[in-house]
Formats: sequence, C-alpha cells, structure tokens
Amino acid sequence: MTVRSRPLSPHLQIYRWTITMTMSIVHRATGIANYAGMALLALWLGAAAWGQEPLNAVNDIYGSWFGQLVLFGFTWSLIHHMLGGLRHFIWDFIIGMEPGQREALAWANLIGSIVLTLLVWTVFVWMA
Amino acid sequence: MRETVITRDMVANPKTAYGNKKASTRHFITQRLTGAINIAFLVLLLFVVVRLAGQDRLDMVAVLGNGWIGLPLAVLLVIVAIHMRNGMRDVLEDYFAGSLYRLLMLLNTLFCILVAVAGVAALLKLVFWG
Repeated sequence: MTVRSRPLSPHLQIYRWTITMTMSIVHRATGIANYAGMALLALWLGAAAWGQEPLNAVNDIYGSWFGQLVLFGFTWSLIHHMLGGLRHFIWDFIIGMEPGQREALAWANLIGSIVLTLLVWTVFVWMA
Repeated sequence: MRETVITRDMVANPKTAYGNKKASTRHFITQRLTGAINIAFLVLLLFVVVRLAGQDRLDMVAVLGNGWIGLPLAVLLVIVAIHMRNGMRDVLEDYFAGSLYRLLMLLNTLFCILVAVAGVAALLKLVFWG
C-alpha cells in the first residue's frame, strides 16, 4: 500500500458562490474563530483563579465596547459552528443531501445562528 | 509543498490511497463524538457566563468552586481542546504538506494543550483551593 500526500485545495475564485459553499467556508471560519476564542475563556478562568486584580483587568477589557463586540461575535461563532455540526450529524445519516434540502439546511444554519445569538444576548445581556 | 509528486499511474492504481485510513476514521469518529459532547459544554458555558460575567472573584469561587460545576467544566474543556486540535488538523491538511505541515501541527498541539492546561488548572484551583 503506497500512501500518497493528500491533494491540496484548489483556489476559491474558480467557483460560483452558493449558499452551501458559503456555509461550509463559514463553518471552517467559525471553527478557527472558536479555536482562538477559547483562549479568552482560559484567560478569564485563569484571572479568576489568580486573584481579584487580574480578574478586574480582564473584566474591564471584556466589558469594554470592543470586548463586548468580540464576545457577541464569539457567541454567534460558537452557535453557528454548533448548528453546522448538527447539520453534519444529519448528513451522516444520509439525510438532507438532495438539491433544495441541502440549500434549506444551509439557510436554516445561517438564520438559526443569527436568531439564537440575538435571543441569547437579548434575554441574558440587554434585558438582564 | 508536496513531498511526493502524484503521477497519473498512482491515481489510476486502486491500491494507492490518500492519507492514512485508520487514523482518518479515528479522526472522523473523534470529531463527531467530541462535537456532540461540546453541545453540553456550550450549555454549561452559557450558564456560567450568564451567572458570572463581570462578577467578582468571590462570586466566581461560589459558582465555579462548586465541584459539580467546576469539575464537569474542566472535563468538557479537555474535550473541547481535543475537538480544536482535530478540527485545526483538517484545516492544516488542506493547505499545507510536508515539514511545514508537521511544524504547524506541532504548534496546533501546543496551543490546544496550553488552553486545556490553563483552563483546567484554573478550575482545579477554584474548586480545591478557592
């Protein structure tokens, strides 16, 4: 058995943009964003374990308008990636792959992520 | 970038394959399993952040210092780190090969270990030492 190197991905520009393709790219992008964002959680927990002073510093940064913007984006990114993962679970059972179905799933992924993010922030941040 | 050039004959030969079959299947199963568990992580994270965002250390200790919250969060954080490493491997495999790929995978592993160790250490400190 000869193992050959994997093929590299062709460049994006040669394709016509579709919603399924866009959500596939966004799934990857949100995965990378979540990857980086987990450092924010580790930092917050670390500061809390360390002491009140470092925790105050982290709370000030996260509570600033820019910090809130990043956390809002992180919330959307996590929710979008989770819904994208659920879409993959559906596909794993060979359901939802036909034309029309896969586009509907992709739109549901996008709209669901935006609605859920706004819901979470409305209930727990803006109205709390 | 590529270590070995893929020839027509190699592609036409059914006895050749892309990548490592066993490792790829394990990767697939691991990513599905950890991904499903991550839903629980997100629910717990939402609860913790809603309860504790902007709060003082005493409140953090009161909530996360509870072993029934802090310890599951620590376990879920390790599972998230596994999912992160696996997912970033998918990305790196698509765009890099050879020694650069191996270097980036090493950095990937180090980052995931760092996030997991920092998070778990912080939670253990909060649970057992306050």
